[in-house]
Amino acid sequence: MKRERGHAMLELAVSAAVMVSFLAGTFQFGYTFYVYNQLVTAVGNGGRYAAMRTYRAASEQDIEKGRAAIRNMVVYGDSRPVSGAAPVVANFSPDQVDVEWTKGESGAPEWVSVSIREFTVDAVFAKFTFRGRPGVEFPFVGRYAPTEHEP
Amino acid sequence: MKAPGRRGFVLIAMSITMLLLLAMLGLAFDLGRVYIARNEAQVFTDAAAMAAASRLDGTAPGIERARQAVARLPMKWDLGTQEFTGVVVEFSSDGTKWERDPKDAGATMARVTAPNNSVDIWFLRAVGGPNVFTVPARSVAASNPVRLTQ
Repeated sequence: MKRERGHAMLELAVSAAVMVSFLAGTFQFGYTFYVYNQLVTAVGNGGRYAAMRTYRAASEQDIEKGRAAIRNMVVYGDSRPVSGAAPVVANFSPDQVDVEWTKGESGAPEWVSVSIREFTVDAVFAKFTFRGRPGVEFPFVGRYAPTEHEP
Repeated sequence: MKAPGRRGFVLIAMSITMLLLLAMLGLAFDLGRVYIARNEAQVFTDAAAMAAASRLDGTAPGIERARQAVARLPMKWDLGTQEFTGVVVEFSSDGTKWERDPKDAGATMARVTAPNNSVDIWFLRAVGGPNVFTVPARSVAASNPVRLTQ
């Protein structure tokens, strides 16, 4: 009887260890992939927005304002989020988003790239850091306004 | 000493549990990658269709520039690690008849298809799932003004 109880304890210990590591791995990868998928959607939305948005370049501040609006679109799904708006992914902030324009000879943007500079997914049992991805590049098809200011 | 009828019970119970756990892990890991690949491919074809449509100007060189614009896109899939292959760029002037090499250069629409995004299935195949799962994506964009139509 005592020997049987000991066996049961040992079996439980071994199977619990296997199951817990399986469940931890399932959560870890499932959550990380879920967050990455959210980031792909976010940079896709930001890229489409950046491609269509008017590029106002009267001053460096105007370009920065445009960049901030694109970053907000990526992070909050809104170029002008209300105060206290929730990001599409926890712990995601606009300063983690890179926005760059590739310009032609005339100075007008031809392409715009939007990417995540660095983002760490905290999946409880492990952390995964993505650098430079996900990222997208769209053709710039918006209006080029070199003398206009951002409103 | 276990009764003869109870011998091997833990082995059978563990085997069934492991299969269920594998299925769960497969759903999280494999399906997670499939959804990401589908999303990445859709964003790529959106950008590619817009890039192609933005180069259309009613001339034959415009068609060629559209193809080159798609080819220069740096985007990748499978968590940003694999290049898109076999990308098909087609053109149309009415949205019904699509051609890769249109004789009439007056096309106003571009359609981009990324057909070869096959995700290797690692865990679900152990419980009867497929070995690979292909997630093609397609987008259509019109020119002047450039916009996604599909």
